[in-house]
Amino acid sequence: MIRRHAFVRLLTAAALALVVAPAYADGDIQCGSGPQQDWQPMKALQKKAWLERWEVVEMKIEGDCYEVYARTESGQSIEAFFHPDTLEKLVVFRRGQEIYRAEGFEG
Amino acid sequence: MPALLVMDELVAGALPMKLYAASGEWSMRLMTLALLPGPLAEFFGRTPLLRLWLKIRRNLGVTAFLYAALHLLIYVLDMGQLHAIFDELTLPAIWTGWLALFALLIPAAISFDAAMRALQWRWQLLQYLVYPACLLALIHCLLLGWNAASTLVYIIPISAAWALRALARSGIHLRRVRS
Repeated sequence: MIRRHAFVRLLTAAALALVVAPAYADGDIQCGSGPQQDWQPMKALQKKAWLERWEVVEMKIEGDCYEVYARTESGQSIEAFFHPDTLEKLVVFRRGQEIYRAEGFEG
Repeated sequence: MPALLVMDELVAGALPMKLYAASGEWSMRLMTLALLPGPLAEFFGRTPLLRLWLKIRRNLGVTAFLYAALHLLIYVLDMGQLHAIFDELTLPAIWTGWLALFALLIPAAISFDAAMRALQWRWQLLQYLVYPACLLALIHCLLLGWNAASTLVYIIPISAAWALRALARSGIHLRRVRS
């Protein structure tokens, strides 16, 4: 009987793990930015996206980066990371595939 | 229930993009839960818990498919335009998702008793399509930038159950200990 209790406990733990395990999106880009008070406002980022002719879906802070989810003119769904101090476009992903990387950026 | 929450958020105007993970993960969880009781019952015998689990296995599997279908609906709503969907089809992260859905569609579509009788031994074979579906779905997640560690939640229980099944088939069982 002891074995069966252990088995049930194991199952419960496994079921719990299944439910609470979070999905980590690719949050491992590091922009190497300074303290947040030196960052440029997100409004300025909006303008950058507008200049790219993107339709912005969402803008947010991801780690030490600005992250923009957007749709390009041709309808591609993209995810772009910008340096918060300089607003330089650092890296762009399309469905997990890197389609742009700024020269020299290794974060 | 989680499906209702996802739908509710969708209706409430949440960004479809934000609901990908929730619907996809529930599909994976349910698929995993449907894959476990079979091998476990071979090793542990038909304990009351496993008997109950086997009884609801079909519901778990079919619900996993429904979550995958919801996942697709969210994707279609998010993409908006058909040409954009076709344009993405060649990306590995996308076609693995489609293929996983189709692989899951077949076992889900024949999950009723009459199909079981009609297909006989082929039915069981077609049910095994859940494994490639699960594998493709995992690749789909990984390509979309998921942390590899988060897929272990699915890989570990399934591999453990299969390891136990292998033990059972080589003659090592853990029968119920009667007190």
